Amino acid sequence: MKIGMLMIRHPQTRISPIMPEVVTLLQGWGCTVDIIYPEEQATQLSTVHADHDLYVLKSGTDLSLSLAGSLHARGARILNPYPVAATMRDKIVSTRILQAAGVPVPETFVTSHPRRLASLLDSGPLVLKPYRGSQGRGIHIIWDADELDDVSNDEGPVFAQRYHKPEGEDHKIYYVGGQMFGVRRIFPAKTYAEKIGTPFTITPELREMALRCSRAFGVELFGFDVVISEGRPYVVDIQSFPGFKGVPDAALRLADYIYAAGQRLLNGEPLISAGVTAANGVAV
Amino acid sequence: MKAVIIGAGRIGCGLAGELLHASGYELVFVTRTADTAAALNRFGCYRVILTDKHGRREVTVPVACALDAGATESIIQAIAEAEVIVTAVCAQNLAAIAPLIAAGLSRRSCPANVLAFENMDNAGPHLRRLVRSAMLVPRDVNLHGFSGAVISRMVTQRIAHASGDQPLTFVGDTAPEFVVHGPALRSPLPSIQGMTAVDDYYPWVLRKLYTFSAGHATAAYLGWLKGYHYIHTAIRDAEIRSAVLTAMSEGQSGLAARYGSQFAGSKADLEKIVERFENAVINDPVTRVARDPHRKLGAKERLVGAARLAEEAGIFPQQLAMATAAALCFRNAEGRRAGDDAALGHDAACVSCVLNQVCGLDSENEFCRKVAISCEQLAPSYSSGNLLLSLTRPMWSWLS
Repeated sequence: MKIGMLMIRHPQTRISPIMPEVVTLLQGWGCTVDIIYPEEQATQLSTVHADHDLYVLKSGTDLSLSLAGSLHARGARILNPYPVAATMRDKIVSTRILQAAGVPVPETFVTSHPRRLASLLDSGPLVLKPYRGSQGRGIHIIWDADELDDVSNDEGPVFAQRYHKPEGEDHKIYYVGGQMFGVRRIFPAKTYAEKIGTPFTITPELREMALRCSRAFGVELFGFDVVISEGRPYVVDIQSFPGFKGVPDAALRLADYIYAAGQRLLNGEPLISAGVTAANGVAV
Repeated sequence: MKAVIIGAGRIGCGLAGELLHASGYELVFVTRTADTAAALNRFGCYRVILTDKHGRREVTVPVACALDAGATESIIQAIAEAEVIVTAVCAQNLAAIAPLIAAGLSRRSCPANVLAFENMDNAGPHLRRLVRSAMLVPRDVNLHGFSGAVISRMVTQRIAHASGDQPLTFVGDTAPEFVVHGPALRSPLPSIQGMTAVDDYYPWVLRKLYTFSAGHATAAYLGWLKGYHYIHTAIRDAEIRSAVLTAMSEGQSGLAARYGSQFAGSKADLEKIVERFENAVINDPVTRVARDPHRKLGAKERLVGAARLAEEAGIFPQQLAMATAAALCFRNAEGRRAGDDAALGHDAACVSCVLNQVCGLDSENEFCRKVAISCEQLAPSYSSGNLLLSLTRPMWSWLS
């Protein structure tokens, strides 16, 4: 099985042992794994062909995503499929899909300029996030209209959600091939130990949310963040192929899932397990 | 020298055929379907890929002829002309092929040896009885030898479709060894690579069952509870690996007490078995190894039988108890459990019923009590797709 992995190289100071272990496991199981760092090379676009049995889109950079889109256009099979990864990257689109799937999300607004959100602050604070942001970067909690002047909208649309004060730690739910894992962690997690967090047993309500997310996007490899406020859970972010930190035996489970997906392809079966279909129009 | 192999599946082709060919035999296969016979005849051969941690080797095995099950007269004649007849058809199908073997052997005036590569401890005597019953002159059966075979090799895959443009290909590990019951065979004993004829056959059956098979089953049932797809993945989980080694060690202790430690083997032997489970080319799905739990939970089988022998030796089989409880939780693709076949209920009290009726265990037995306690811990949390995240600190993926 020939696997291409679209990755980003992290600084040596950042502890991220999971993906290297996934690669080692897959290689040990007889897979040929080619690691592709799009940012570190000049790719001649005309040479982009689907010459691997399976691609794994781990990196979330714009270049990786576009390269995955190019591969998708050439018939490549990608985990997660490019349309889904691209959709999840865009908070405006993904939030609307979550809403339509009945997943509880905070009241959400989009606009072209932060000042247009001023009147909404009468009903309470807002959280502004870059609409294609990740890892908690660029998030502002806005309590007063004056603070809107400090928010830049250089990066495009303004994405705002009603702020619900979290009770305790954040809850991350990871989903791998129908399997779910709950990890509690403080926000923002800074150290590796904080990112590992503490595993917890998922409640039926959170499980139902995870199943709805999987069905809504038609994928089995994602994570989402839940804030519990006044006893109610809100999904505040969803990520295609997150870091899976804190998942017991994360590397082994990811390698097992990727290997099984590759075996399905080699057997002429669908990339995504039967039974998981996008219910909200994310065509893969 | 001619050999007839009845059953062109994983064991018939991937083990018996490969070894008989390597030993100089000309091979005639009897297949269940016309498609398989046609594929073997079209190419005049098939391939076996043998792998271990050192690499892989591909062997092409020539096939003189393949006959589908409907070619009765040709099959009988081929058996009449063969020195060795191998069956690899699954135990439940032996009754269907016994009349063919009886008819073929009845035409012979010199001995032949029949080797039953079947997954049952008394395959040789059982097949002999079936063949004897089908013979016009029952005493003619005495001319011929009948033995089961305790095999080592795992052959898990047939790749390439029978109607495809490539020869059928089987994938297995390299282990060529198999043990037969010498006194049950007739001279001259066949000379087949990997074959060892022993005087006391049953201990060898138990040795495989209570070490290799116990470990395999433990990896499968615990791997299933923890959500792994493949044996080679499950065995990489440190908790499962440790449980597998301990379960096999418990079985080995029982064997050592009954048959001596030299026969039972060493810790290094168990490590070698684990190494074989790690072989990803074998690509053995957890659900394949875990299938048919009702049979595998039998009183003399790999988990309960090994546990009882360990108890006899004064060893409490802690991990075999956990694996047995996991096997009782296992559900096949249709959602059925071992206990469901016995039409038993699901409440805690009935765990004892299942253990009694499926495993032949008395509720007063300490192992039985331990399994029941483990079941009571697992069953309320278990639901389809839910994962046991840790064996040592029981924690489930979600609340059921």
